[in-house]
Amino acid sequence: MTIRLPFWMATLTVFSMSSAMAQTPTARIVSSANSFLSTLDQKQRERALFAFDDEEQRVRWSNLPISIVRRAGLNMGELSPAQRAAAFSLVSAVLSKKGFEKVQQIMDGDELLKTNQGKGGGKGGGKGGGAMFGKDLYYISILGTPSEKNLWMLQFGGHHLALNITIAGERGILTPSLTGAQPAVYTIDGKTVRPLRQESDKALALFNALEENQRKQAILTYRVSDLVLGPGQDGKTIQPEGLKASSMNEKQRAMLLDVIAEWAGIVHDSAAATRMAELKADLNDTWFAWSGPTTVTSGSNLTAYYRIQGPHLVIEYAPQQMGGDPAMHIHAMYRDPTNDYGRKPATK
Amino acid sequence: MIARLIAAILILAGTPAFAHRLDEYLQGTIISIEKGRLQAQMTLTPGVAVSPLLIASIDTDSNGVISQTEQLEYARSVLQDLSLTIDGRHLTPQLVSEQFPTLDELKDGRGEIQLEFKADLPGGGRNRKLTLENHHQSAIAAYQVNCTVPRDPNIRIARQNRNYSQSSYVLEYVQTNAESASVEMSPVAVLMFLSLAVLWLRHVWPTNVMRRFAHWRRN
Repeated sequence: MTIRLPFWMATLTVFSMSSAMAQTPTARIVSSANSFLSTLDQKQRERALFAFDDEEQRVRWSNLPISIVRRAGLNMGELSPAQRAAAFSLVSAVLSKKGFEKVQQIMDGDELLKTNQGKGGGKGGGKGGGAMFGKDLYYISILGTPSEKNLWMLQFGGHHLALNITIAGERGILTPSLTGAQPAVYTIDGKTVRPLRQESDKALALFNALEENQRKQAILTYRVSDLVLGPGQDGKTIQPEGLKASSMNEKQRAMLLDVIAEWAGIVHDSAAATRMAELKADLNDTWFAWSGPTTVTSGSNLTAYYRIQGPHLVIEYAPQQMGGDPAMHIHAMYRDPTNDYGRKPATK
Repeated sequence: MIARLIAAILILAGTPAFAHRLDEYLQGTIISIEKGRLQAQMTLTPGVAVSPLLIASIDTDSNGVISQTEQLEYARSVLQDLSLTIDGRHLTPQLVSEQFPTLDELKDGRGEIQLEFKADLPGGGRNRKLTLENHHQSAIAAYQVNCTVPRDPNIRIARQNRNYSQSSYVLEYVQTNAESASVEMSPVAVLMFLSLAVLWLRHVWPTNVMRRFAHWRRN
């Protein structure tokens, strides 16, 4: 069977297909950003938009709930369904499919925390009052003007999530960004979810693939309670420790890159590819350090801290001992000490 | 006593999952080494269950406000609980700045105290050894210590050692442009050295030269 299309319709179809294919990721992101902004009224726009060099807004992120560390911008709970859809469309345009899925799982976990602890945050909510947990309490803001050429930034985050994505032409710079999970293992619609499953499982696989002498080098003989370069620690490069990747074999190095990709791959695919190429070039000077248990309960998360550090990279995975099982509460950090908030291209 | 108080607070809080630090006092220190100087930033985060203990030691007049004087007193007490040495010589940390949250923030476990301190490093050899021991609130502390990559290309970190709790930290580094101790002499010592040199030149050196000259003539 053949379908005959009028000439003008066929031309239009081919043209729109080719223009969609020709549209770069940045063009799609800018278009999504403008679509989102067009759904807002004047007051909402004023609250969502900040100057690109607004240093206060830039660093207004945390692992803590919003009632403990206030965020600015627009929260999901105050948006209409159409505005919310446009906001998520923008976030998904900036992220990879896998990255967006991770964000949704982190938010689903927080919603579960709200359900378990009751609205208003329940006990432990602090005197700051107000709700602490839930999907409504994630904020979106834009620093600068969405552009295919000029620098601008999208911020999206709340409890256990802080995405700071600087769009610099075709580059998408995702540092510094924080991911986390509490509960870090949960069941939703009969399906078990671990938002940071790959970060846990791949790191353990790498550790298990190390030789005994390599493990000795990788293991830090001291306890690490929390992130060293978490919120508020911008611009610092600490002395690397552990096992250097130049002392790993090819298989181990590939596994290390695979762990790194769990963070570098949160951003959309083309930006992730650029970033991974940069990190691969640095691999010989990249370190892997481990502190804590070397075994994991099946189906659960690591309770060990680990850090991956290179000339343009700091990754930290830090299970939290806060009145419960550390495997159920994880903080993780992703930085480029030379280019957090896209400062490097900004200075060019 | 401390353990009982914490346990009681935890029972009152009564929920297994918390969003913030509970029964520990996180004390993170990041040290930077420069030529002749050490700088450090301390971030102190008391958990919600231990904050009453901390508040009692900060708000000493219990008026519900942390005054400037109380901030300074507490900051100094933290520094007094540190033991800092370089090559076995005791160093005195000097407070550079302090930043305190409100009492309410501390009570809620959302308060971070930021302290900055510095210490002058006397001259020494090429291989240097810095030690830091933190004894502040050791019963409830969770310590973390790190050093930054030195900006000075003449300083290279050789080794870091810590005990399990990170209360004890040893940093070994190499300083390739190390100055000799004489350069570090005080002006008084320099004057004394110069005076002795002049005396030697005027009395000892000419005598020796004359003796050698006479010896040469005899032969």
